[in-house]
This record gives sequence, structure tokens and C-alpha cells, in this order.
Amino acid sequence: MTPNETPQACPAQEQPAGCPVPPASADPAACAPKTSRRDFLKAGGTLSLSSLMGAGALMAQSDDAHAAAEWAEHFQKNYRLMTDKEKDEARLRLEKRYSAEYGKKVTVDTTGPQPGVLMGYALNIRKCIGCRRCVHACVEENNQSRGKRPGEKIEWIQVLRMERGEFSKERMNQGYPEGLGIQVGGNAYTPAGQVLEGQYHYNPETVPEKDANYMPIACMQCEKPPCVKVCPVRTTYREGDGVVVIDYNWCIGCRMCMGACPYWARRFNVANPVLPKEEMNPVTHYLGNRPRMRGVVEKCHWCLQRSRHGRYPACVEVCPVGARKFGNLLDPNSEVSLVLARKNVFRLKAELNTFPKFFYFYD
Amino acid sequence: MKKLAIYTLAAALCGSALYAVSAVDKAAEQAKEAAAAPAEAAAKEPLVCFESRKGASEITQKEVKPGLPNVKCSPTTGAALWYGDPYEGTVPMGKMPQMANLPEGQAVVRPRTEKLNLVAMCATACHNGVVPPGFPKHKKPVPIPTMEGMLPEVKDFQHGRGAIWCLDCHHATKRDKLVDHYGDPSISFDQPQLLCGKCHGDKLRDWRDGIHGKRIGEFASTGKKRWFTCTECHNPHNVQDGERNRGFAQLQPEPAPQLPKGMKDARHEKLHPIPH
Repeated sequence: MTPNETPQACPAQEQPAGCPVPPASADPAACAPKTSRRDFLKAGGTLSLSSLMGAGALMAQSDDAHAAAEWAEHFQKNYRLMTDKEKDEARLRLEKRYSAEYGKKVTVDTTGPQPGVLMGYALNIRKCIGCRRCVHACVEENNQSRGKRPGEKIEWIQVLRMERGEFSKERMNQGYPEGLGIQVGGNAYTPAGQVLEGQYHYNPETVPEKDANYMPIACMQCEKPPCVKVCPVRTTYREGDGVVVIDYNWCIGCRMCMGACPYWARRFNVANPVLPKEEMNPVTHYLGNRPRMRGVVEKCHWCLQRSRHGRYPACVEVCPVGARKFGNLLDPNSEVSLVLARKNVFRLKAELNTFPKFFYFYD
Repeated sequence: MKKLAIYTLAAALCGSALYAVSAVDKAAEQAKEAAAAPAEAAAKEPLVCFESRKGASEITQKEVKPGLPNVKCSPTTGAALWYGDPYEGTVPMGKMPQMANLPEGQAVVRPRTEKLNLVAMCATACHNGVVPPGFPKHKKPVPIPTMEGMLPEVKDFQHGRGAIWCLDCHHATKRDKLVDHYGDPSISFDQPQLLCGKCHGDKLRDWRDGIHGKRIGEFASTGKKRWFTCTECHNPHNVQDGERNRGFAQLQPEPAPQLPKGMKDARHEKLHPIPH
């Protein structure tokens, strides 16, 4: 960032290419009608602009990529409102900054949704052995914080170990009222089937255990995501290929989305993320696994940096039992479409009408 | 005299040429050493991790690009945790029945014949194409002391629960092949799905469609994928034992997530078991 470029990042002076006035909708192609607010800003902006330019020139004196990027990021728009040119500038800025910070060539991808692709995920709940390899593959891929102190270790996938045997043979005659031998199929004392209650911190010698079922839970990429509804700055949104993403720069860290998510999928960077240089994955996506800062929320994004280029997400590739399936829901021959057509499928907490694109199935 | 001179000249020429060659070699070696030194310092011995099942297939870590390894291994369990290059060491799967609509070369597998090379040694030592004397005429399972000594797991052979035995899958004289529908040794160890699918047809159908089993690479249905074959995940000689309940050998799990702040252990999770 040179001093000459700094004022261009200022929103008061900026003119998006091919659009006479800044767009007011989420669609960058749509142009908003001319308003008097802009005239007001133009008139009043001159004073503030001059002061900003001075400060910008001062800031940009240093050659520090970090400082320059931070300065420009203050004046960056919401990712959805950015033009292609602005996205490119942001990309180059971040690449320079991350490369300097991590001591290797880091690429920041801004590839958008591919036409004709609606991503979907299926997980075979019978196959999962609870080995947690997906959890750690995700950490390797997505540059999560991996420190030792509280709050510095972030994992996006949780594997829930649940007790088995609610309908076991020995207990067929149990029920309420006790001793009468009436099987009522669950009551306040023994719930029917499975409840989402169990252990996340199980650590036996070997898995799978005889009396346990394992249920990996991560972001469900809902079609009607509650987190998107509650975000006050609209920084989290659903992309065209179905993935719910976060523009980390606009996240204010209010954690409303974490409260809204019924799947416990979102994580908050309480502390400064700890990411060793040698462990950092240099292939990143702007909306995906680029290194996050303190005070922003992050979550699974189906490895956008991979899946936008046709690769399977990291957790799918590493699952030793092949329980995880990923594909294009619009393609009738994809794995996920065939699972939906052929297997017994359920969605987690379907009664909440969030319409996840993450399906659990069993043979 | 003249002859002698010619000989000495020839010898001298040869010597100088040899010396030149060795000097060039030395220089090249030195350059190689210099290049290899930092790499060696980074990783003393090659890191080998197992893929799906311990003992079935291994992958050696190396760099595909500077800073980008082909695979990352788990420091806790030694399992492959992350694939940088999903197609390493693969060959085309070849023609499979009912998979003709897959474009050529889009389905690849990692060959396992080399890994199962023990079998080749068997073929030269004992099973050398000649039917040994005393070979059973019927198809009923009989205990073979030699084989039980070499492979203790066949003593408690669970596959088929006593109904099948060695020669239902392996050929009697060609030990590096598996038998097809007609008892001919036409199936290689790289294509066990042709053998397993003879009985497990439903699983073969799901495997062909990608519902059963594991594939890595590109997710599009026409994309290039590395397919994991049956024996890379399942041990056909040992299909059910111990505490397992899902058809896979038990393995060590990766470490548990961080405990909530201020907690010493995860007992709080067990205080609310499902029956309240």
C-alpha cells in the first residue's frame, strides 16, 4: 500500500466500477437509486477526507505489511458489497501480509460459487468409529488456533459419544410405571431412542467401544440459517453454492450467532489465535481458512479453499471408515444425491426448520 | 617398442578420462550433499503414516512443493491426517464391470501387490504351481498346520463363520492371485472388489456409487478420484473380533478437545448419564 492508494480505500471518495452510485443491496450488480445522503457525505466528507489522508500518509510511511493492511482494512466494505477490483486489492493486501507474517508464500483465494453447484454433505452414523481424525484434519487444513492455554484451542468438529442400548433386549420390559412390564417407549426416566447427550471428552484406549455410538457435529450449512438471521452486521451469510460463510473483517464479535446456532457449530477467538508458522496452511480462501484475528467468530465452511476448486473437504478425505460423503446436490449421480435417494436419511433437529444440507444416514 | 608406447598412451588416456569422470562425479555428489543437507536437517528419517487401517497401507511423507507435504501424520497415533496430494503413487484402476461410464483414468488406486509381496515368496517356496501330495480333494475347510503357524489369525478364522476357508478366495497353486467366479486365478490383489463382490453384492453396488467406502480427490461425479479398495479398510482374515462393533479393527483415537476453562477432568460429562 503506497500513500497514493490510501485515499482510494476511503468510502467517501470511492466510485465502484460501472456503478454511478454505491450499491445498497447485497448484489453488487444492482445499483441503488441516487440519494441525498451521498451528496451530504460528499459535501461534508471533504474535511474528514483531508484529515484521513494525512493520517493515511503517516501510517503508510512504514513499510510494515501488517500495519498497511490493517489501515486499509478499516475502510474496507462488507465482502458482499465489494467490487471485483476491491476484492482483488483486499486479496493482494492479505497475501502480502500473511506471507510476511508466516514466512512463506500464502495465497488468498476469492473464487466465488461455481455455477450448477449446491454443496451437500452426508455422514453414515453407523460407520463412525469416533476416532476424531476428522477433527484434527480440519485443524490442519483450516488454520485454527492451537495453543495450550484456555480458549486458545479451537476445533470445529465435535464428536459426541452417546450411550447405546436404549432398546436393548434386557430392558425391553422396563418402563414406567416401574415393574408392570409395560414398554412405553421412553419416559421421563428413560428417554426413547437417543438424546443429544453424551461425552465429548471420551478418551479410551481404542475406539469404537462396544456400547457407544458416535455422532460428529459441525456446521450444518442450513438453508435457513438462524445465525444469519441474528447477525447484526450481516457479516455471516449464505453463499450461492449453499455454504454459510463469515467475512471475518466485519465480525464485531457480539456472538449472537453462537447463541442462535442450534448445532453448537460456531467458535469464538477469545484469545489471540496461536498458529505456528510451520503448521500454517498457505492455501487459503478469503471466506474460509485464512488466519483469523482475536474477537471474531469462525466455523466450518466445508473447506471452501478446496471445494470451490473441486476437491473434497479435508475431513472427508481423512475419514478412515469412509463415513463422510460430500457432493453436489444438483448432480443426480453425486454421492450425496445417491445417498438421499437410497438410504435412510435424517437431519439433526429437523423440527427447527433450519433445513440443513448436512444429512445423517445409515445403511 | 612402438606397441608399448601405444599401450602406455592408451592407459594414460584411460586414466585421465577416469579421473575426469570421477572428478565430475565428486562435484555432483558434493552439490547433492549441499542441497540435501538442509532437507535432512528438517526431517532426519522419512515419516511414514498408515492410511485407513493399521498395517494395510502406508504413505511416506515428502514435499510435493516447497512447504507443502503430500501427507501430514498424526503425532499421537501415526495415522494420515491430511492429504496434500491425493493421487500419490496411484495407477488407473482399469476396467471394472458396470463402471464403464467412468471416464478413463479418472478412477485410480494405489497398488498393493508390492505390499503383499510375502505372497510372491510363498509362490516360489512352496506353492510353485504344483499341487502338493496329500492335497484335499473336497472343498471343506481343513486345518493346515504350516499356514496356521505362519498366520496365527487364520486359526480363529471368523469370515463366513466356518463356512469358507482359504481356497474359496485364494487359488490353490497361484498364490499371487484370487479366484473369480469360475475358480480361475484372474483377480489381482489390487482389485479385491471383484472377489469380495461375489458375496457382498450390495456393498459392491454401494462402493461403485461411492456410498460405501472411501474416495479422495475431486468430488464431482466425473472427477478424478483415488478409490480405496476393500482390503485397505477391512482385513478379510479378521473381520470380527474383540470389542469392535462396526467391522473395522479398533484403533487409538486422536486426543480429546480442550477441557472447559477451570476444569481438571471431564467428569461433568458423566454426571448426567442418559437415564436421569
